[in-house]
Amino acid sequence: METMNAEIFTLTYGSMVRQLLVDTEDVEEVNKQLDKMGYNIGVRLIDEFLAKSKINKCVDFRDSAEKLAKVGFKMFLNTTASVTSWNAEGTECSLILEDNPMTDFVELPEGCSRKLRYCNLLCGVIRGALRMVNLNVSCNFVQDVLWDDPVSELRLKLISTGAENYPFKDDD
Amino acid sequence: MPAIYTILIINKSGGLMFDRDFLPGISKTNGNDTLRLASIWHSVNAISTQLSPMPNCLGIELLQADTFDLHCFQALTGIKFLAMTEPQTPDVANLLRYTIYDLYADYALKNPFYEVDQRIKCELFDNHLNYTITGLHRRWGHPV
Amino acid sequence: MSLARLNIVDRPLPKGKSEVSLSAFAFLFSELVQYCLANVKSTGELESRLESVGVGVGLRLLELLCQRERASKRDIRLLDALKFVSTTLWKYLFGHQARDLEHSTTAPDEYMINDYDLFVNKYISLPKDYASLNCAAFVAGIVRGALDGAGFPSRVTAHFVPVQGQAKPKTVILVKFDASVMKREERLPS
Repeated sequence: METMNAEIFTLTYGSMVRQLLVDTEDVEEVNKQLDKMGYNIGVRLIDEFLAKSKINKCVDFRDSAEKLAKVGFKMFLNTTASVTSWNAEGTECSLILEDNPMTDFVELPEGCSRKLRYCNLLCGVIRGALRMVNLNVSCNFVQDVLWDDPVSELRLKLISTGAENYPFKDDD
Repeated sequence: MPAIYTILIINKSGGLMFDRDFLPGISKTNGNDTLRLASIWHSVNAISTQLSPMPNCLGIELLQADTFDLHCFQALTGIKFLAMTEPQTPDVANLLRYTIYDLYADYALKNPFYEVDQRIKCELFDNHLNYTITGLHRRWGHPV
Repeated sequence: MSLARLNIVDRPLPKGKSEVSLSAFAFLFSELVQYCLANVKSTGELESRLESVGVGVGLRLLELLCQRERASKRDIRLLDALKFVSTTLWKYLFGHQARDLEHSTTAPDEYMINDYDLFVNKYISLPKDYASLNCAAFVAGIVRGALDGAGFPSRVTAHFVPVQGQAKPKTVILVKFDASVMKREERLPS
């Protein structure tokens, strides 16, 4: 896959977040906007992921989370996440990001610390991408290096699996 | 001589996103008929998964008629790529699964002016697809 | 003290060798264009917004590249600043120097940086109602940010110009320097 200098990506993302803050001025709104933009990206990005990774089908949610963390992050951001802290039912886990090109060079200003979810775009991307393969998930940062936590941790929860549509069902 | 007559792309609800003929002189259905055919194909494909005696059927991959073959590749996202070809044309499944899916991911999905699941009206997609198919036809000996 | 608690200026600068996929940028950029599209009424406004986002990148790239590539020598001549943009900055962004740097024959305060196939436009097909748009306005913004930061305020725009004998047009980044810059240049010894 064609690659480019990560810094251009980082700086573009940063400039975009800054633009959102100028346009909106309400940090919570910016968080929502980032999530929405991420969702729009995820809905498109999933097809490229499937096309280039040649993945045929994920066996279960554990498999999906592993592929997302190892193949997905690697393919697009050239980094990998580790999958940990599974719950008993196998429907919730954490993705730990040691290294994230989106946050290089970044320090949140005083007014935004602990309020601006700088990488919220990523949560939206994951949600949008999985939605297109019939997995409804919620995805949130529970730890963030920009909030002075030691690592960035994404909590991924499977809410439901969307049933595929069959026309002409008898009981309709 | 192997040949690719038509490429169709259908979205996950059965709506027609793209259709293009690659060889002159083949009898063409009009726009509305193609729309209807796409929708019918979507339903037939879905029914086939219910008809399947084995579990986890993904749908119809190949339909062989006397005058043409219809190949179908369905992505996990529900989008379907169809190719109508001369019977015995080789490697069509790979063409759909890798080459054309890739072109879609690049020149439709990365285009900010393309709305997901709608009609694909992207010049770069058209050009690259045309280049790919005419390249194949040239290799197979068609006059280009 | 954990690394996270160190002030950002105390942390070592990343080496600048890491990469991400072009696709990641393409999807991000596509969404940025869509975000800008949603809030504007004209092609000009859209280009303006894209350009603003580029300015933020350009300002920072100037600092980064000056720190990495050169000893603390500051460009005070217009041509040197332009050469920095068309060589060092361009190489950093696109992997090669710009094809040409031209001085306009009709306007002494205008210069053109020419190149082909800028990656920001790689996957974009313009619909008919946006035929005059060029998303390389983002790159124009980067150039403006770098020039502004170096003390050369200007207006920078991006244009497609057809080339005889070639199917694809070239991208021209047009730089029009402020009157203040031209006056200052005149006062300096040639």
